Amino acid sequence: MAKSTMAARTPLLEWIASGLGLVLLLVLIGVIGREALTGETDALPAIEIRATSVAKAGSGYVVGIEAVNLSGGTAASVEVEGVLSDGAAAVETSSVTLDYVPGHSTRSGGLFFREDPRRHTLQLRALGFQTP
Amino acid sequence: MAIETASRGRSGPNQLYARGLARAFGGAIIFGIPLLMTMEMWSLGVSTQPARLLLFIAFNFVVLVGLSRFGGFERTDTLGEDILDALAGYGVGIIAAAAILALFGVLMMDMPLDEWVGKIAVQSVPCSFGALIARKQLADADGNGEEEERERRVSGHGGELFLMLAGALFLAFNVAPTEEMVLIGYMMSPWHALALVAVSLLLLHVLVYAIGLAGQEQRAEGWGRIRTFVSYTVAGYAIALVVSLYVLWTFGRTDGLALEQIAITATVLAFPAAVGAAIARLVV
Repeated sequence: MAKSTMAARTPLLEWIASGLGLVLLLVLIGVIGREALTGETDALPAIEIRATSVAKAGSGYVVGIEAVNLSGGTAASVEVEGVLSDGAAAVETSSVTLDYVPGHSTRSGGLFFREDPRRHTLQLRALGFQTP
Repeated sequence: MAIETASRGRSGPNQLYARGLARAFGGAIIFGIPLLMTMEMWSLGVSTQPARLLLFIAFNFVVLVGLSRFGGFERTDTLGEDILDALAGYGVGIIAAAAILALFGVLMMDMPLDEWVGKIAVQSVPCSFGALIARKQLADADGNGEEEERERRVSGHGGELFLMLAGALFLAFNVAPTEEMVLIGYMMSPWHALALVAVSLLLLHVLVYAIGLAGQEQRAEGWGRIRTFVSYTVAGYAIALVVSLYVLWTFGRTDGLALEQIAITATVLAFPAAVGAAIARLVV
């Protein structure tokens, strides 16, 4: 009884808006719930750094880098170091700190060098991070 | 003629509801903006533990149902309608949060789904809150004794305490994401914390009972000062403290902290929460 009177007084638009709200809420819960169940976010971050491009920047050079987090755990304050070397001797070192690299995400940045990175060996690696 | 009347009769409530929805979007944006533009909130979307976030979404939904009872964007009579309103309000909050985050470039196409959903989920809390209370804030005065109607619905100790909880949650949530909450805790000595507790209690009591704000409470008949203080002010502060602790825990701000630090940080956050509890009547 009460239900039928409620249905009669409720405008169609309200059913649509509430239905849409329900769907959005369920999507939210579904995605976060899957994350909670897999427990992936507790894993340690695994960050790979790769160079995407090199360009002349003023009197020096810039190397575009990408930090890819292969794990589900988020890393904050990720220190990235790039070393230019000739054989065993390091020619130049540059570094950058990335604010956040969330799980399974990619963040980009760049490193500046005085020497041309294309004429040396460039080694890129993540040094460390903070748990957010 | 008959058809025309019938069709007009059908479009009437829909148009009315559409206006309510538009107001809800307005409320979502007004109340969401401070947090939509807070950097820590974006990272919390990624770093909050999913299980705690889920619990918070559920808690927020329950609060929205309660808000619909006491404010809402349309008049409600039954729990079923309150649930419909809460769902619609949550939907409005999610859409508003997603749209504005996308406009700011916080959400980018190359981000994984989890990141999108996490960022939207934390922001949809203040936005949905704004959507639900938009009616009180944005509706033109349509008279019809609506205020008395609300008074009647809010009456009772339980209703009062619920409003305090909603107000405390809203203000606490607005500042809890910032680094400053923990930083202030580090800067304060235990004496500062005790003084802050006393000031919060006093402020809560004065705002509710003494200075004559709109929606101010009258002491219940036959209740002395002390009983009022204990039943409303102390209870209100207790609610503010518990809400503060819960929000801090949700955001992982209590993890790894010593008990004393947790207590001090909770009193820091309980200060805005107590103010929120006191002025809930004004806002909701």
